[in-house]
Amino acid sequence: MSKDAVHITGMGMVSALGTGVAANLDALLAERTGIGPITRLATRHRGALPAAEVKLTDDELGALAAPASTQGWTRTALLGLVAVREALAQAGIDARGERTGLISATTAGGIDKSEGIYARFFDDDPPEEVRQYIGTHDPGEHTERIARELGMRGLITTISTACSSSANAIMTGARLVRAGLLDTAIVGGADALCRFTLNGFNSLMILDPRPCRPFDRDRAGLNLGEAGAYLVLESATSARRRGAAPLATVAGWANTNEAFHATASAPDGEGARTAMDRAITSAGLRPQDIDHVNAHGTGTLNNDASEGIALRRLFGENVPSFTSTKTFTGHTLGAAGAVEAVLSVLAIRHSAHFGTLRFGTPIAETPLIPVTRSSTGKAVTRVLSNSFGFGGNNTSLVITAA
Amino acid sequence: MIGPQPGFDRDDLAGVMAYDATPLLITEPDLTRYIDPMRGRRMARVARTGLGCGLNALERAGVERPEAIIVGTGLGCVESTDRVFASVLLRDEEMPSPSAFIQSTHNNVAGQLALAVKCVGYNFTYLHRGLSFTSALLDAWLQVGREGARNVLAGGLEVITDEYFLTQRHTGIWKQGPVHNLSVLASTSPGALCGEGAAFFVLDSAPRSADSVRIVDVDIAWRGTADGIVPHVRAFIHRNGLVPGDIDLVVLGPNGDAVQDRAYDPVRALFPQATVSAFKPLCGEYYAANAFGLWLCRSAMVTGGLPPEVVMQGPARGEFRRVLLYDHYQLKDHSLVLLER
Repeated sequence: MSKDAVHITGMGMVSALGTGVAANLDALLAERTGIGPITRLATRHRGALPAAEVKLTDDELGALAAPASTQGWTRTALLGLVAVREALAQAGIDARGERTGLISATTAGGIDKSEGIYARFFDDDPPEEVRQYIGTHDPGEHTERIARELGMRGLITTISTACSSSANAIMTGARLVRAGLLDTAIVGGADALCRFTLNGFNSLMILDPRPCRPFDRDRAGLNLGEAGAYLVLESATSARRRGAAPLATVAGWANTNEAFHATASAPDGEGARTAMDRAITSAGLRPQDIDHVNAHGTGTLNNDASEGIALRRLFGENVPSFTSTKTFTGHTLGAAGAVEAVLSVLAIRHSAHFGTLRFGTPIAETPLIPVTRSSTGKAVTRVLSNSFGFGGNNTSLVITAA
Repeated sequence: MIGPQPGFDRDDLAGVMAYDATPLLITEPDLTRYIDPMRGRRMARVARTGLGCGLNALERAGVERPEAIIVGTGLGCVESTDRVFASVLLRDEEMPSPSAFIQSTHNNVAGQLALAVKCVGYNFTYLHRGLSFTSALLDAWLQVGREGARNVLAGGLEVITDEYFLTQRHTGIWKQGPVHNLSVLASTSPGALCGEGAAFFVLDSAPRSADSVRIVDVDIAWRGTADGIVPHVRAFIHRNGLVPGDIDLVVLGPNGDAVQDRAYDPVRALFPQATVSAFKPLCGEYYAANAFGLWLCRSAMVTGGLPPEVVMQGPARGEFRRVLLYDHYQLKDHSLVLLER
């Protein structure tokens, strides 16, 4: 490995599949989806829309994350803290040095808290239980809060580009490490399920009232999920210096924009194809070197058709094995790119393929069949992970064995 | 630059406006050259401002389509967020307007700019409070300086709403009641003068004209407090092979908060020989205010002058060859930019 390499030396995750990377892996291999009826969020859509909720109350998350004080912690920030702590513990680093940065992503930020009490922000003298959340709804807040909890100093920032957000956080962290501005970068994202997001997506008519069916001819939309997922990126030099064993390598990355429409992807898949192609090239590889794809695969009519076409156009007749793990985790929005990067590393380290659950019939226009059953035993060495967002923001990452 | 001061489509301010108000609001210039008026009327104010300002920056730089578009904003489109809140929260999850939801997505302005110029390249939006624009600038600077990009559009913007200003009044961040902007730095009370605005820049791998300035270095330093900021500023200058005496102009971000503005004093004391200027009496305080600060730095370097109303020390006119911009937001988000002619 050249000394420019950007390694992954730690990972952490909490999702509908469970708390901790190991619990998530177990669920994936056992084909236990995290998607089901909504039981935690107080919404009129209970019973009508499924989601992939983290099966912990805010208090339980607070106890798990154990910040010095639980005052003012939104669910999004708690999901983030739980996952960041796990990643740091695995990497064996203390976040306090100035050569360690934090790049986090979210779409909803602290809205999960402010939405419940928004009307009371206008009161002349709101009580403390309301006041503690007045400054928490902007995306940067959760990042700052986590940084403060960990005693960090230096480079911290927040990215919000819809569904590609945390893939972009990974990309930014990798670039900063490679440029020598940081030795280690904690990168990832967190997003709690909230009424704002659920109703917003519902207004776009892209939610499936049943558990989603990515890449299936009869798919009817996506299911929302919530999660926190982070990775510790580290320069090869830094990892070598402290004897840290890399879990995998972030070998390549690319971000493009469709410039096509405010929410839809171009049907010819050009934006997606370009992002994938550039990411592969940036890794010094060719398409045929990729042996697995973690697709964006939301289950919407638009995404899966254009992503399928893009895969076909990029890989020709030799589309590698591909899967949508959103059939397990739901679409976790700001956390999705990081969730799927973690799962890509698991695929590599455990020679695992995770099934695209509930798949039945391929899409007519591009008859592609994803991995349908979870299994281990077949090596995975170079994964392409896609996160294609609203407003046509497309990011692909190439993650390889260390 | 679009803000409370007149200076759109210019290298410098056309004049200095005094206000007795808070917040300090944008005076919207005529943007019909960039945005069809009917479409403009339907857009949220932040989208119209960002789109108009960004397109103007490209036009002034003679760049039709940049390789990348990067935006920094602390709040994104709070106007559209409020509309969705109203449906979802105040009217019991009544289905929100899809267009309001779409416009509330934080990267909407960057997406609109890409659509307008058909830029299919890199497109990022940073939303990190006082570091939002600094993050966008650092990213653009890395791309052009180290990653081989030819030109990148980077901007910072913030547009607030009455509702947002109202809900934040309990945080103590801003002064309430009418504030005279040009004398706000003499204030003895806490709270900043709240403002809004946008400034966009084209970063280019080669100087396009005599009016180009070079961005030498960009630094983001988040801290819980302003402790240790003086050694940090020294180290920033030093790592560029300079000493404080080499700096001709220091532009600082005091905002009228008498308590927090004190953090600038020891930094200012490093530069007894330089011209020192503020910028927030002109634009107010907001997450992306340092974008206007950068605009003022460039303006001073290219025109040789600053509005005397904001100069704190030294001559308002001169040859400002090496310029340092230092800004903090709420004592936590510290940004440094070094520029050279």
